[in-house]
Amino acid sequence: MISIFAGKKELKIRQDILRGVYEENLFILGRGRPALSRQRSLLLKGILLSAVLSFFAVLMPDQHTGSSFAPPETTANMSTPPVLLPPTSVSAALTPELDKYPLLPAASVTSEDTANASEFSAIMNSRNVSLMRMLGLKIKTIMIDAGHGGSSSGTIGKTGTKEKDITLDIAKRLKAHLVKSGLHHVLMTREDDSSVPLLERVTLVREAKADLFISIHLNYLPKKNTNIIETYYFGPSDDKKTLKLAEQENAGSEYGLSDFREVVEMLGKTMKLQESKEFAESIQANLFLNSRKHNEDIQNHGVKRAPFVVLLGVDVPSVLVEVSCLSNRDEERELNSESHRENIARYLATGIFDYLNKGARTYEAKR
Amino acid sequence: MKPKDEQKEDNVLFVGIDLGTSRSAISSSNGMREWIESYAGWPKDFIAEQVVGKPVLFGAEALQHRLSLDICRPLERGIIKEGIESSERAVKEIIRYLIDLASPEAAQKIHAVVGVPADSLKVNKLAIRRAVAEYVHTLMVVSEPFAVAYGMNLLNDALIIDLGAGTIDFCIMHGTIPSEEDQRTIFTAGDYIDEQLFNYLIEKYPNSKFNKNMVRQFKEKFSFVREINEQIRVELPVNGKPVMHDIKDEVRRACESILPSLVETTIEMIARFDPEFQMKIKNNIVLAGGGSLVRGIDGYLQDALKEYGTCKVTCVSEPLFAGADGALKLAQDMPSRYWETL
Repeated sequence: MISIFAGKKELKIRQDILRGVYEENLFILGRGRPALSRQRSLLLKGILLSAVLSFFAVLMPDQHTGSSFAPPETTANMSTPPVLLPPTSVSAALTPELDKYPLLPAASVTSEDTANASEFSAIMNSRNVSLMRMLGLKIKTIMIDAGHGGSSSGTIGKTGTKEKDITLDIAKRLKAHLVKSGLHHVLMTREDDSSVPLLERVTLVREAKADLFISIHLNYLPKKNTNIIETYYFGPSDDKKTLKLAEQENAGSEYGLSDFREVVEMLGKTMKLQESKEFAESIQANLFLNSRKHNEDIQNHGVKRAPFVVLLGVDVPSVLVEVSCLSNRDEERELNSESHRENIARYLATGIFDYLNKGARTYEAKR
Repeated sequence: MKPKDEQKEDNVLFVGIDLGTSRSAISSSNGMREWIESYAGWPKDFIAEQVVGKPVLFGAEALQHRLSLDICRPLERGIIKEGIESSERAVKEIIRYLIDLASPEAAQKIHAVVGVPADSLKVNKLAIRRAVAEYVHTLMVVSEPFAVAYGMNLLNDALIIDLGAGTIDFCIMHGTIPSEEDQRTIFTAGDYIDEQLFNYLIEKYPNSKFNKNMVRQFKEKFSFVREINEQIRVELPVNGKPVMHDIKDEVRRACESILPSLVETTIEMIARFDPEFQMKIKNNIVLAGGGSLVRGIDGYLQDALKEYGTCKVTCVSEPLFAGADGALKLAQDMPSRYWETL
């Protein structure tokens, strides 16, 4: 065996490793990577902030133009005060691929501004940069939506298990896990077997100024022996099966088709898309990888976009997760066991924590 | 590294805990080292409590009185069996018992590092944190093979394979804290050997009476791969009469059943790094955990990897304590400011 420690270099490796262990434990606790990574992150923040400030300088003169592409006001909260920005500007800054938007008259853009905007665009297109985190926006309130309820039973299993009951139980358990972390205010769209129309759910999210939204559902498939997990975020889809599912989940919505198309187009290009996608990926990965430990037959149908109404009106990162399939007889039996529902809730909680901590999850590069 | 300059608290007991599916061990800064079988058992009723004389029993003692107890082996595949209340309770009891074995002084603060399987997802690490938090002042959770590596100063260019009961954990060390990609867990481990051996023996000796606990003891006493020059004969009752049985072939078959996935995963782990680094890793493969006591397993792995170039596989000298000792070393080296903020 080779012992590698001989001198300063080795001491540095060991110190880095100890710091890594510490930071990983903070991460497990959902507390990100504070003090010790601060120097590195401050440097990054400095660079990015200057790019953002330059970008806002470009945007400011055109604020009054009221572009129809202006994204909705975000409910995310500013946690760091290095620069105070009007809410509309914050919203604009959260919009990805802004360089594609017809916001600015060409004449008002100087060459310096263009350079800054281009630099900013490069940052925006980087997979590893989230403006929400870069600006220190925090997730304070999480809204959990238990699918269906009251007169809307959702899908019903062969032995009579109702989707509305299972989603409510999982939602309550998820809430308990999130509350336990003590980091977030957690709300539910329904806490009992009551009918809550889809539009009312959206209103609840808006009124509560929720910063994150997760809607829990169960799938029902024609192939009865199949069991899948899939997670959706809002966006247009061409997939017929997905559209069919959206039709089922959207039943009872009061949106007109024209409203729908307009809003789909508008929202498809906002920050919500970027964050919701990340959020959906985290939920899907955690739920599937953990679930597979108990059930090797479960299939990963991944993250998809779909026009679910309940996600449409929500301005913040939002996902709809089909946690399981009630059409599968074995799975229906499992869903009736408390431990299975508890596991699903725990995996969803892990997915949420992972998403919230993703910005701080910076492992050392490989050789 | 000299951590004393940063760790000025005198009244602190540092402990390293290896929370294993089959056995759990603790090493502490006061020099205590103990291990127990990872079992906890509660008397089934008032009479049982009178017989065993304790409200809760642990390890070998619990196994010995298992007929009088509601016995629980709380870890499955290295993690707390989920959704089962008694499992979490049992883990708490085992941790409490282990810490008691370390004999902390009344007013001493306890800083603990706990080793868990490499691939434990965050939710499991949180569950273990919950179970341990009640009995220590601060704690950190690390992956088990990483703890072994740290304890042995194998922090660069090494592959540590921790062959446990519930899992085999792989961890590549390359001078930084291993990321998720540097670690892998497979489940064909010690318990899998037990299951295989149990099935082989039932098949060969359908009239003999034995249970899984006996089979596990056979494995621990006789396990080997490839060939050994000795007979393996055990006494099992047939229709109430003790009869000697030859179980050598069955023990070998069962032990060798984990080898394909072990070799395959080892190759996969190494192949992911660049060729220069691969050479270094192949010459620094270390087997830890109870599975490293399987006779011939290091030689088998070394030979299996030969076609990929020279390699060297060694076993840790004290498989029972390598994880706990490494965790203790981590705890002692950890600057006090890190402990304070957790």
